[in-house]
Amino acid sequence: MSDVSTEAPAQPAKPTIFFDGVSSRRRQVSLTLGDALEIVEEGGTPVRWAYADIRRADSPAGLLRLACTAAAPLARLEIRDAALAAELIARCSRLDEHQTSRRGIAKIVGWSVAAAVSIVCVVLFGVPLAADRLAPLVPKPIERRIGDASEVQVKTIFGRNVCEDPAGKAAFTKLVNRLRDAAGLDDDSMTAGVLPTSVPNAFALPGGKVYLLKGLLDKAENPDEIAGILAHELGHLKHYDNMRGLIYNGGTSFLIGLLFGDVTGSSAVIFASRSVVEASYSREAETAADTFAIEIMHKLGRSPKPAAELMFRITGKEGGSGLTNILASHPLTEDRLARMTKEDRPASGPPLLTDKEWQALKLICGSGKV
Amino acid sequence: MNDMQWTPIGSEPVPPPLPPTRVDFSGSRSGFLNMVTKGAMLELVTFGFYRFWLVTDIRRHLWTHTAIDGDAAEYTGRGKELLVGFLFALAILVPIYLAYFLIGIEFERWQGFASTPLFISFYAFGQFAIFRARRYRLTRTVWRGVRFWMDGSGWAYAFRAMAWGLLVFLTVGLALPWREASLERYKMQHTHYGDLRGDFEGNGWTFFKRGWWLWLLSPIAFFIFPLAPFFYAEFKAREWRWWLDGIRIGGVSLSSELPHNAFYGLYWKVIGWWVLLSMIFGAYLGGATALVVQLSGLSAEQLFGPGDPTKSIPMLVIMVIGYFALALALNIVMRVYLQRDLWAKVLETVEVHNIAAAADVRGSGELASALGEGFADGLDVAGF
Repeated sequence: MSDVSTEAPAQPAKPTIFFDGVSSRRRQVSLTLGDALEIVEEGGTPVRWAYADIRRADSPAGLLRLACTAAAPLARLEIRDAALAAELIARCSRLDEHQTSRRGIAKIVGWSVAAAVSIVCVVLFGVPLAADRLAPLVPKPIERRIGDASEVQVKTIFGRNVCEDPAGKAAFTKLVNRLRDAAGLDDDSMTAGVLPTSVPNAFALPGGKVYLLKGLLDKAENPDEIAGILAHELGHLKHYDNMRGLIYNGGTSFLIGLLFGDVTGSSAVIFASRSVVEASYSREAETAADTFAIEIMHKLGRSPKPAAELMFRITGKEGGSGLTNILASHPLTEDRLARMTKEDRPASGPPLLTDKEWQALKLICGSGKV
Repeated sequence: MNDMQWTPIGSEPVPPPLPPTRVDFSGSRSGFLNMVTKGAMLELVTFGFYRFWLVTDIRRHLWTHTAIDGDAAEYTGRGKELLVGFLFALAILVPIYLAYFLIGIEFERWQGFASTPLFISFYAFGQFAIFRARRYRLTRTVWRGVRFWMDGSGWAYAFRAMAWGLLVFLTVGLALPWREASLERYKMQHTHYGDLRGDFEGNGWTFFKRGWWLWLLSPIAFFIFPLAPFFYAEFKAREWRWWLDGIRIGGVSLSSELPHNAFYGLYWKVIGWWVLLSMIFGAYLGGATALVVQLSGLSAEQLFGPGDPTKSIPMLVIMVIGYFALALALNIVMRVYLQRDLWAKVLETVEVHNIAAAADVRGSGELASALGEGFADGLDVAGF
């Protein structure tokens, strides 16, 4: 069979099929390998393909399928005869030019690594910077709207009504006002309240909203404990931590999602890396809020230590494994206690609330259990 | 069973119909395995960006080794198109995510958690993406020098999918066969091969009759867990067969004799590999911990216990590496069994009737952009 191609119109044993790319008709053709490839169908006009224009198309084993850059894009020539195929391949110098080569793959790898490095840099440096710079610039009305939205959610979870006992409210307002003046926060930008739930916690929402949960009040033994916690929340407000967190979390989850796409077919990696990165950002914010609380308490001539003692009473010793430390959103309570203890100073200012006021505050949600 | 179909019936003077042609799949399994193994590693070093090229390579492999009436198909899509489509999709999705966020805030202000239904709009968008992704793949599918193509509107499809989805939800899944039939009809009636128009003749009732008892029995799988893969395999096999039986393109029709238990082996093999790989992963973690304890002289409590988190960094690195290896291996297993083997298994049962109707089809149709694939990737939806 090696002599087939010496004849002018080669007639291999296995048929050569041509599809002209216009119709799906199967045309049995013979090939002439002259100065260009000539495809001849019996009774039809021959088609000429220049060798330099011929490209390999995907084909199963045992079949050479060719396309031509100058012909119709889907025109295909299918050669089943191995000898003829080999001879044609030898003449087509640019047959595999369009395929993804090793260099092509190296390029993909290179660009991907560059993209990944840039995304990681943006996550580690760019997004925190953007969050720090942008958060104070967010217009107050927008911030308040976001705050209103989260307030509705919070109240859905922790109870609809803010505790309203008049004497307790007066005491609470007095405490909050003293802290606010010391913190130097705008007058109009703040609202505060106590929510009737047994969960011991407190939090700040965007738009200057601070909420104390009744559970924390029940566990507190003196006004300084509550004052320190509130000062910490005011620190979050002062540092725009909510807006910063929002911008930061939105940015990182988007970028990390973009980076990993669906490499694993699961979002486990995305979740894990987000948790680690965001937790470290949040720990920084918490530490900064603690610093702020310490300053305020010193300014008022009170010790920041009782607040940390209150936290410690609630959480106990937290130090878990190395892993949970990396994932924790807050610094460990024992570390915070140690820090506040170091900042402990004998009281130099007047008590923040009188005994009577303190008792009233404790009963702000009424005397009954929640 | 197959040869029963064309035993001459009676003695009518009409010429007997041409025998059905088979679909041959000639792809080598080891070749596919090599390709996905290499691809999975490249995906790892490129942080997943290689997925566009790997998906393209997989499709090229499956398409070119599938021959209908002796002529192999061809996939002409390229990885770069998918990448560009993905980037465009991102550029469109980012503002949409932002708008979603802002509208969500307005809803939440009005009522706590009222924005949850907004999530549904993303589902609709996902359906749109599925339709457009199908259009991309189809316009890259070439057989005998003529491409498949699609018209129809992605939004019209998404609307249908949503309306039917609501009905399926309200009927606790009973309406599913009719949903699939309707959506498939829409897709196939807007599918063309050259100047031949597609159609879908399967109806919901047939599918319902084939699978209603699975719907009834499925709650059992919640209690007897090992039954779930059997149920799912039964369902998928019945669905595939019903789908193939309904496909028409011009005068060409398909039929399939896919046995109801065709996929049992595939799913159990995947589960088997999954268990085996998890056990290896567990053993690896145990061994690595022991090794670190030996080398560092720290006790296991110190390694995982309270205190300095920097001590657990070597362990963390080991876990991350192990996790990636596990994900990679699972990826390969899924692609070999659930893409390649499933493809081969389904195709070997397919018969094509009256292929002569596609002997002289005029090519037409425009190439569609890969934007739909980009959306599907960005929204993490799949379908076909």
